[in-house]
Amino acid sequence: MMKIRVFIFLCILVLFVTGCKKAEFKPATGLQVVTTLFPLYDFARTIAGDKAQVTMLLPPAVEPHTFEPKPEDMIRISRAGLFIYTSKYMEPWAEKIIAGIENKKLRVVNAGEKISYREALGVDEHDHGHGHDEKTMDPHFWLDFANAAYIVDAILDGFIAADSANASVYRQNAETLKKLLLTLDDLYKNSLTECATRKLLHGGHYTFGYLAGRYKLEYHALSGVSSDSEPSAERMAALVKEIRKSGAMYLFAEELLSPRLTETLAQEAGVGVLMLHGAHNLSRDDMSKNISFFDLMDRNLENLQKGLQCRAK
Amino acid sequence: MNLLEILSYGFIQRALLAGTLIALLCSVLGVFLVLRRLSLIGDGLAHVTFGSTAIALALKLYSAMSLLVTMPIVLLASLGILKLTDKGRLSGDAAIGLVSALGISAGIILASVGGGYNVDLLSYLFGNILSIRSEEVVIAALLCLGVMLLLTLYYNELFAISFSDELAKVSGVRTSYINAILVLLTALSVVLAMKLVGIMLISSMLIVPAASALQLARGFKACILLAALQGCSSVVIGIIISIMSNLPASASIVMVNLLFFAVAFLTRRVLHPKSNN
Repeated sequence: MMKIRVFIFLCILVLFVTGCKKAEFKPATGLQVVTTLFPLYDFARTIAGDKAQVTMLLPPAVEPHTFEPKPEDMIRISRAGLFIYTSKYMEPWAEKIIAGIENKKLRVVNAGEKISYREALGVDEHDHGHGHDEKTMDPHFWLDFANAAYIVDAILDGFIAADSANASVYRQNAETLKKLLLTLDDLYKNSLTECATRKLLHGGHYTFGYLAGRYKLEYHALSGVSSDSEPSAERMAALVKEIRKSGAMYLFAEELLSPRLTETLAQEAGVGVLMLHGAHNLSRDDMSKNISFFDLMDRNLENLQKGLQCRAK
Repeated sequence: MNLLEILSYGFIQRALLAGTLIALLCSVLGVFLVLRRLSLIGDGLAHVTFGSTAIALALKLYSAMSLLVTMPIVLLASLGILKLTDKGRLSGDAAIGLVSALGISAGIILASVGGGYNVDLLSYLFGNILSIRSEEVVIAALLCLGVMLLLTLYYNELFAISFSDELAKVSGVRTSYINAILVLLTALSVVLAMKLVGIMLISSMLIVPAASALQLARGFKACILLAALQGCSSVVIGIIISIMSNLPASASIVMVNLLFFAVAFLTRRVLHPKSNN
């Protein structure tokens, strides 16, 4: 018994010590940029080119809601020149972290500032006593590629303000990025025009409202934006009915999250399950493969075309 | 949608069936645990499962395979709780708190040391009573059957240790052996049932039916019977209420359980206003 316990303790100690080595800081060269979510990270590193160092706060696959900063993160932010987050809806902790950091040089960019938020529509959510005044905003605005271009502008402004010497490089990289987003937008538009169904049925939390809105799809999610909300039996039964009525052959699930509920519903309705990526974070495998926002969106488009039975033009 | 229509869906039928089986299991185990002052062992072991799942994911063992790592660790942790109460001059709640803190902090450290995961850990850890699969109903049934069988087999010994360890020891019961059986069965049930119905439901099912039954029952067998009755009927009533008023199922079941407790508590006050036990 004793030996086993000592062994377990040693295992944990070894893991801990080897893990600490990773936390060594690289010597800072150029502008240091800290981002919260993956789209911001991916756009920022494209704009930065080799003129700035961009890091992402969230560890792979961790939900933004359950994130807690490590001391290393706080040190990184206090040494950075630029901090970029999306909104108080998605990262309610971001403003608190910034308030606690003494770094007069730090510029903070709220990438969602100029976005006009969509309400999370089409979810038959129960009123939990908040009253009807408080609307539920959908924070996944980067999934509308026109908004994504606004984000690029907001990030670019931050870069130029923090490091005006390299402004021309940043501008050029941002232009290229926006062109890529426009091309992606066109590709989505063309690929999703002739589909057997326009109903995007999702057996999970409300995530793809912007995507559906931009390409005129009818979005039905199982439950609300909040990751705490749980679907009622009636809502589940209603979605199964909806799937059967629509003649859809697939129900969508969100990557990184457990597909249990989606699989239960898909089995009930006799349809398959396809994955869509919300892109707020990456899995560890995708992270090590250096996957980009555009790779994720290509993956999404492939599954959307399959799931909605679209004819390629 | 009306009640009958929703009841025709497979996921509701599985929720009722597996939910009742797990309720039976938890409420009977709960009577022994509450009397042994180990009521919060469900929460404690859930935290250990969190920590050990982090180890399993670090070793790239997913879903059912992760049980290969989590099950032995949680079983060991349950024995550890017992040892701490026995040898460490600690009461059950302190021992559980200690082990639970170890579990959750180990999980958080492993998550940041391992450089993140491929999936969101918390979303995979806990099930939802509405998402039980057909094969999991079989698991629930086998688990329930196995635990009930062992409880019946060791009924007299378990009865003895529930009230006094010393007395049981004097009358020839191998108390440490019987205690170990009780916590190991609990650990097994918590790990498996948590994946099916979530930890909130498990934890409340271990405590609330037993607590209500202890308010009213005159004998030990009556107490177990009452607890089992409450556990099972609150699953059925809770699910029906959740369908009729469009509420999440697990929370509704817990609320029905608590309502039963309130009734039991008040009944005892009315029937025996002067008694204190």
